[in-house]
Amino acid sequence: MFAYEKRLQFPVKIKNTNPDMAKLIISQYGGPDGELSASMRYLSQRYTMPVKQVGGLLTDIGTEELNHLEIICAIVYQLTRDLNEEQVKTAGFDAYYIDHTKGLWPQAAAGVPFTALEFQSKGDVFADLFEDLAAEQKARTVYDNLLRVIDDPDVRTPLKFLRAREVVHFQRFGEALEMTKEKMNQKNYYWVNPEFDR
Amino acid sequence: MISESNNQCGCPEHLAMASVPKQQWCEPYDLSTALKEGTIFPCLNLTFFKAPLGESALKPASGAEDPQQQKREAAMNRLMEVSFAVNDLTLYLDTHPDCSEGLSLFCQLAEERLHLLADYARDFEPLTQLSMITGELDQNEYRWPEGPMPWEGACV
Repeated sequence: MFAYEKRLQFPVKIKNTNPDMAKLIISQYGGPDGELSASMRYLSQRYTMPVKQVGGLLTDIGTEELNHLEIICAIVYQLTRDLNEEQVKTAGFDAYYIDHTKGLWPQAAAGVPFTALEFQSKGDVFADLFEDLAAEQKARTVYDNLLRVIDDPDVRTPLKFLRAREVVHFQRFGEALEMTKEKMNQKNYYWVNPEFDR
Repeated sequence: MISESNNQCGCPEHLAMASVPKQQWCEPYDLSTALKEGTIFPCLNLTFFKAPLGESALKPASGAEDPQQQKREAAMNRLMEVSFAVNDLTLYLDTHPDCSEGLSLFCQLAEERLHLLADYARDFEPLTQLSMITGELDQNEYRWPEGPMPWEGACV
């Protein structure tokens, strides 16, 4: 089960309103490589994992991704909370405003709504772990892209933290891959699918 | 299903598979640097040239004059540092369960976290339901709704 602790994993304190920037960063909430997608991916895949420790790691990283989703939402919220009527019209936030006012809704930067089609739970340990490794790389690229275009240090600091986490998670999934290989048929890793063939 | 493997050509074993080297224990950053950088391990801090090492400055927040608010921010900051190190160590131990250095640091910091949560509940408001008990709050008052919501940025 999950229990709430009433704080962010990393502090977010933003002084300046900037709806334009919020429109880009919201992608890490509901976009294809966003934190919601990451969390749902890992928390879905864990049930049938053949190596118990890997199921444990997926639980712990999937939980951390929920913390990250909350950090991203806090950034978007603080960038738009003082939005006035003039900024709604001019700052590129008008389309979002019409549908959601200042409410948080998971979508990609280009306006595509969050969908479970953005991640897989394949029921095959190698297919899933390689998806997870790729997901961490894709999320890192998004943070790199954001760090290229965003100047406000109040926003860069949490983004830089989140980017660093993607690299750490990649390493841990790599180690999970090695732990899995040790348990598989050493002549041919693909001989059976341990999540199906018992 | 004729045989488990068709490797008859002298190629190295384990074609069509990738490897990631296993991390070795390395001396962690101090906890404040670790939170800023996003990992306790210097060897895993692979920065991007547009956001180099040490770029982030976590200001002691608001620069508030109010001593009570300053105290609150300092307490929250320490809790964040210790809790983040516990998070990062948890993932490390998930794939390195036999590392005694990692486990001993984990136990030490997890214990400190317990005390910090109790102190925070006693001095300000509870951040977890359990700390309403460990912080020895008055049991005639429901204090869980107190304090700013985390996304308001009010505390740090």
